[in-house]
Amino acid sequence: MLLAALTGGLLAVVVRSPLPLDAWAAHPQASFLLSLGKNPFPVRLVRPPVAPLSAMAQLGRQVFFDASLSSSGRLSCASCHSPEHAYGPPGDDPVMTGGAILSRQGLRAVPSLMYLERQPNFSVGPDDDETENVSPALLAAQSFSAPRAKKTARDTAQSAANLVPQGGLFWDGRVDTLQDQALFPLLSPFEMDGGSIEAEAARLRQAPYAHLLIQLFGAAVFESPRMTVAEALFAVARYQIEDPSFHPYSSKYDAWLEGTARLSQAELRGYLLFNDPAKANCAGCHLDQANGDGLPPLFTDDQFEALGVPRNMALNVNRDPAWFDLGVCGPIRNDMADQTQYCGMFLTPTLRNVATRRVFMHNGIYHTLQQVMDFYNLRDTDPGAIYPTGAGGKVEKFNDIPPSYRTNTDTVDPPLDRTLGEKPANSEQDLQDIIAFLKTLTDGYRPGSGGGAP
Amino acid sequence: MRCKCLTSIVAGVLAVTFVSWTSGAVHAATPPDGAVAPARISGRSPQDATPTTTPIKHLVIIFNENVSFDHYFATYPNAPNPLGEPAFTAAPRTPSVNNLANANLLTNNPNFTNTANGTDAAEPFRLDRTQANTADQNHAYTAEQQAYNGGKADLFPKFTGKGTSGGVGAFGTKGQVMGYFDGNTVTAMWRYAQHFAMSDNAYTDTYGPSTPGALNVIAGQTNGLQLVATTKKPSTLAAVSYYMNDGQAGVTMINDVDPGYDVCSVPADQGMMTGKNIGDLLNDAGITWGGFMGGFNLQTKNANGTTGCKRSTDSAIVGAKVVDYIPHHNWFQYYESTANPTHARPSSMRTIGYSYEHDGNTRDRANHQYDLPDFYRAVKAGNFPAVSFVKLPAYQDGHAGYSDPLDEQAGTVELINFLQQLRDWRSTAVIVTWDDSDGWYDHTFAKPTNPSADAEADQLDGPGKCGTGTPLAGVQGKPVNGRCGPGTRIPFLVISPWVKPNSVTHTLITQASVVRFIEDNWLHGGRLGDGSFDAGAGSIMDMFDFSSGGKAVPIYLDPVSGDPVSKPPRP
Repeated sequence: MLLAALTGGLLAVVVRSPLPLDAWAAHPQASFLLSLGKNPFPVRLVRPPVAPLSAMAQLGRQVFFDASLSSSGRLSCASCHSPEHAYGPPGDDPVMTGGAILSRQGLRAVPSLMYLERQPNFSVGPDDDETENVSPALLAAQSFSAPRAKKTARDTAQSAANLVPQGGLFWDGRVDTLQDQALFPLLSPFEMDGGSIEAEAARLRQAPYAHLLIQLFGAAVFESPRMTVAEALFAVARYQIEDPSFHPYSSKYDAWLEGTARLSQAELRGYLLFNDPAKANCAGCHLDQANGDGLPPLFTDDQFEALGVPRNMALNVNRDPAWFDLGVCGPIRNDMADQTQYCGMFLTPTLRNVATRRVFMHNGIYHTLQQVMDFYNLRDTDPGAIYPTGAGGKVEKFNDIPPSYRTNTDTVDPPLDRTLGEKPANSEQDLQDIIAFLKTLTDGYRPGSGGGAP
Repeated sequence: MRCKCLTSIVAGVLAVTFVSWTSGAVHAATPPDGAVAPARISGRSPQDATPTTTPIKHLVIIFNENVSFDHYFATYPNAPNPLGEPAFTAAPRTPSVNNLANANLLTNNPNFTNTANGTDAAEPFRLDRTQANTADQNHAYTAEQQAYNGGKADLFPKFTGKGTSGGVGAFGTKGQVMGYFDGNTVTAMWRYAQHFAMSDNAYTDTYGPSTPGALNVIAGQTNGLQLVATTKKPSTLAAVSYYMNDGQAGVTMINDVDPGYDVCSVPADQGMMTGKNIGDLLNDAGITWGGFMGGFNLQTKNANGTTGCKRSTDSAIVGAKVVDYIPHHNWFQYYESTANPTHARPSSMRTIGYSYEHDGNTRDRANHQYDLPDFYRAVKAGNFPAVSFVKLPAYQDGHAGYSDPLDEQAGTVELINFLQQLRDWRSTAVIVTWDDSDGWYDHTFAKPTNPSADAEADQLDGPGKCGTGTPLAGVQGKPVNGRCGPGTRIPFLVISPWVKPNSVTHTLITQASVVRFIEDNWLHGGRLGDGSFDAGAGSIMDMFDFSSGGKAVPIYLDPVSGDPVSKPPRP
């Protein structure tokens, strides 16, 4: 009687759990722990070393928050990369505005500055340390004819060999170092609008921290404007590298990886869908496992993708029907214009802290995770729900990419391999569960505080 | 534990028995030369029993990557000691060195005033410890000649300025080639200089990058390249390549190419060298020696799960995974007689350094080529080869772009801490030097003693000109192009109980001076011949004082800070 009750109870656990039966059969113990929301295979995560900020990083912090470096006197790095918003945009405008009177619209949504401390240089895959002298353009040229492995959450090693661009910073990977990255917003006329290197060097010379620059680099630092700006921006980069707030790895998911947190049933279902090649398959690109030496997952494979999100008519620049932001192949990036096979490709961002954002995709078209989920789920099965309908009643799928480049879009990685009218890969409940899981990626988890940050 | 060792030895022996050696021509069964491993290690070591000219019975060459003398010693022995960084205070009576500070070139530098450098023109500037992870510079044969500009050394920003960008946290700037570290970053190197001997007049034998440097330090010769596979044409100003015609129907290597047949080499471009290297001479004399390359053992699996040719280490300073083994740094792989193209493992730790196993007949499969952990293991087991060439795993080799001075310091200090604790330390000398300058600015110029006149590749004194006169012979006995040098100045330290403490020699030496020292100490002054630089290379003997009784005291350093530690750290 007792045995029967126990068996019955166990069966109920098995049947009610989101785990497939073959998982139960192959790994009963692990499946049992997982069904309770526990990580059956906890790992020890190796986080970046934490030490008091160096003099360099302390200088960098002052530069990071210095609005006097902008023509308006009102924008600093922290204005768009808000520390309170995971170093991403503070509001839900698709792009930020800047310039002398903060009236000029940017071209792309502000990416987070978090979790870039391991970002690889821009290159065209596969990873190959020996070919250091081969130019990205040459490798890119080879990729015209190269086959591409399908990306699935179960086999990311295979797609790591794809001849696609990877790494770098900005949505188009156009620079490799945080120092070089910092220069663009400093000088961009629709951001901090600094005018010129010389003008910024002059501002730095007047800054309250000018003495720190001299202390670290000698009095000669102000003799060359280029050197002044390079050193100041390196200090900013160093602040990002050293300050733990840029890479705390303190989410509930990190705790779960280490075996100290339990996922709720919704989060667990979301996690399984996230990793299921037949369902959401998010982990095909947004890698979610710690690697061999315990470095926490970054939730990106650092590769570029052409998703073909809808054109965002909230961007003034998009009123010009001839204007297209094509990512790797331009027009902001200008060294890969001939590599038209990359037109429409943008860098896959981390999903850490994604639930704190209110702006998604390179053009800021989406403002909720639900919209993002719908895009992946319905782009191919019901494009009418995603894209506008044109004059002739025709759905304008991929309307933010010129027709000749639309074949660059990803139509092989599930769930983007479905066809019109086919059943979407995920149900509405599935999408809610994935969102519940995404909320576990928010930093600042404290045991007992539920899903995301306190 | 003992059981496990036995098992692995047995397994190794079995493996040797059953794996047929395919490259039979190279490894003929009869041993006319090459040392035979002793059946067991006891009593006086074979290395101690071998007659030498000096008390040095063990030489360890730590061959790091890509540093010019001024890049590490521009202001030696003075550093600004910012708060929070390892501080450095010079010992009394530290001798003056020929650096930027003493040459009064820290300001009004010709690289700043020469307008030909355009917007890249820059004064030398201090690189902070937080900037250890820098971009790599251009260090090609021709570019370095152009930077030296006929001896004026004033076109570094224009010709050897920024190459690759380094990791995401790297520092990069126009004119970065003018940057220098000091005792707050390369703390250990400065401390070794204070306690042991340094040269401020050491040069690469020729202009150019890693592979020519790797060949010169073992052979003094870069002529005699045989192209195994190539996608390149002879180097021109417009299209730089790794070789040029030597003017005698042969080929000279001037830039980097992978060694032929190495299983880790890029298939499309590979080269082998004809001629001899010091390993051949040591084999002839039955002296033990080895090349110990980080990453060489393809069976090792690293903590991050990588193995084989792609084995890598995560460097927190570089902020990236760095592959451990770089084929184009592997000196001995370029010579058929000393290569181990399959990375075969030695049959046991007792055969490390030896050509044959103790039966005197079985050729050891490793052929003197090992991984760095093999060095530690063999030496701990009492088998310390007479001559050991060491290359740290790439993330520690000091090469800007993928390594850095702090990782380099950690690997170098760990090895020197280890060696200083050996009983054999009293008969050991360690040379720490570099394969090339990376193109980093250095203010000194050595007028070429060996000229070259290739219309495209040679540019030091104008098109087709690098020095004057008749060049040395190549491997075919006729004067050849492509070996213009001395090239760029590199740091050169000797760490041994037998050196003059806190001394700086100004004798002109080159990488081939290492070859010469080995020959003078073990081989009765025999030379490689065939135009090798060893014949004319300066001697490093004046860095030693063999009449002193070997009294230079060990100094143990913290691998991270480079600061002295009171107790020798456990290896």
